[in-house]
Amino acid sequence: MPVIEYKCPNCGSGMLFDSATGALSCPSCGRQDNIEQIPDPLKKQVFTENEVKEYHCNSCGADIVTEPETSATTCSFCGAAVVLSDRLTGDLAPAMVLPFSISKDEAKQAFKKWCRNGLLTPSGFMTADRVKSITGIYVPFWLYELHNKIEVHGRGTKIRTYTQGDYHYTETQHFDIYRRIRLNYVNLPIDASEKMKDELMDKLEPFPYNQLKLFKTPYLAGYIAEKYSYTDEELYPRAKEKTSSYIDSYIASTVSGYNSVSYTDKQIDTTLKNADYVLLPVWMVYYDYNRSQYTFAMNGQTGKVVGKPPISKAKVAGWFAGISAVSLLSLKLVSWMMGGGFL
Amino acid sequence: MRKGKHLAWMATLILFVITLASPLIPVSVASAADSKNLIYDEANLLNEQEKSELNAMANEYGAERQTDFVILTTNNTENQDVLLLTEDFYDEHALGYDKANGNAVILTMDMNNREVYLAGFYKAEDYLDNGRLQSIRSRITSELSSGDYKLAFEKYIKLSYKYMGYEPGVNPNNILFNGWFQLGVSVLIGGVVVGIMTYRSGGRVTVNRATYEDSNTSSVIDRQDRYIRTTVTKRKIEKNNNNGGGGGGGGGGTSRGGHSHSGSRGSF
Repeated sequence: MPVIEYKCPNCGSGMLFDSATGALSCPSCGRQDNIEQIPDPLKKQVFTENEVKEYHCNSCGADIVTEPETSATTCSFCGAAVVLSDRLTGDLAPAMVLPFSISKDEAKQAFKKWCRNGLLTPSGFMTADRVKSITGIYVPFWLYELHNKIEVHGRGTKIRTYTQGDYHYTETQHFDIYRRIRLNYVNLPIDASEKMKDELMDKLEPFPYNQLKLFKTPYLAGYIAEKYSYTDEELYPRAKEKTSSYIDSYIASTVSGYNSVSYTDKQIDTTLKNADYVLLPVWMVYYDYNRSQYTFAMNGQTGKVVGKPPISKAKVAGWFAGISAVSLLSLKLVSWMMGGGFL
Repeated sequence: MRKGKHLAWMATLILFVITLASPLIPVSVASAADSKNLIYDEANLLNEQEKSELNAMANEYGAERQTDFVILTTNNTENQDVLLLTEDFYDEHALGYDKANGNAVILTMDMNNREVYLAGFYKAEDYLDNGRLQSIRSRITSELSSGDYKLAFEKYIKLSYKYMGYEPGVNPNNILFNGWFQLGVSVLIGGVVVGIMTYRSGGRVTVNRATYEDSNTSSVIDRQDRYIRTTVTKRKIEKNNNNGGGGGGGGGGTSRGGHSHSGSRGSF
């Protein structure tokens, strides 16, 4: 059976992952099971991929309606947490998972707090009372380990100026620069979900990777999880692109003491050492305001919120005029203190 | 929403008041009764209406600075030096706002030699030193040359009034004192700050190049900085010897009546 559910051995209720204790817990009787010690039912089952098209809830027998990417969800009829195990095995088996450490209530509170801090958002938005839904999603990411061998040739100049007699002298020393660098990146995350906007996910970083756990399905109980839409090979160019600016600034940091540097030759040889498929925790907040929907994402571990809030034109104008007026006043004061008169 | 709008209106209002108030003419208008004649148009460069307008203006601005802004035009038939002419005129007419031979600025037009002289006495000597008078003269010379006397005289009064608003010793043409410059810079600061605020409202990238770097295995393996050559360029230092074109010159002096003054002379 490709559908896994977690029934409490004591009372038979559906068990859920508890972000506060990190254990599989029963909301009815309070039983807590250490996930790292219970056997994962996933390991006992063998499937051929994409074989099953329909899933049925073990609790109520209803059809489980899912999108093709979903690997964990809740039954829309009885609310039981279900894990679609065939979407988590074989090539689709995640290596690791970063469990949620922020619960739904905490996420709501943190989001409200974040809304209150918006200096340019409309007041009606700041109260955060129109949150439509808040959903915990395990988003598929690839964690890359990239090894770079870098060889750079360049020209650098050191400039010294001095005055002698009636002349200004500019003395330029020219140098040939060569650097050979080994530069390795680990745990470089690239979002592998088609639905999640890359721009939003990039801003959610960094995730605390020291909290990563070996993947076990009970971590997903009660949340939505997705499987990756792109393989690690498909996203490899994006990973390289992400590191290219890091590499450039590393090179620049090794070339110091020059007035100007120009590179004549830059060779970067990148090898993909490893790519781990991991699930990272994200709270998605959907917010209706002024007849349009705004989407925000919150890092499920650190609580960092990203997403474009609505901008109040009046507040922008207010801040603009206020800052301008204060600047003008201080400029006037400076000119007055210099003896230039106030007006 | 409403709070934001209030804020916007308030701040805009403040901005406007500060900006508009600055170039306003002085409020205290000397009444017609105690206005005295400050325009001595012996060369008849102005008609009656121009004369009375300039006189009213000189009285009004002069009261604010407690200084007489005097204009003297002469055909100089005796061919006296314009500097002496100005000093004697000051002594003879006992000019001065506060007392006889007191605070005064005089613009003397010698139509015979086509020379102009600006002199500042007492308060005006401090506030309109040689440098400032030079600056005023250089700004009105082109109008004087083209015969646009009314405009030139107006500029002279306004500039003298303006420069006397700055403490002695500071450069009145410092761009920091320019109201439009101040407004421009303020608006620029406001725009940049609000721009950054808007840009950052959607969350920022908080990872940098070190975040994912494996510092244990990353390092520079080999480096070379090889000296190739040195190039030297030289540039002659400009010597500043000329005193500004147009046959102008600075310098004050002391009148025969014993009144010291600042000054600037030139031809037009």
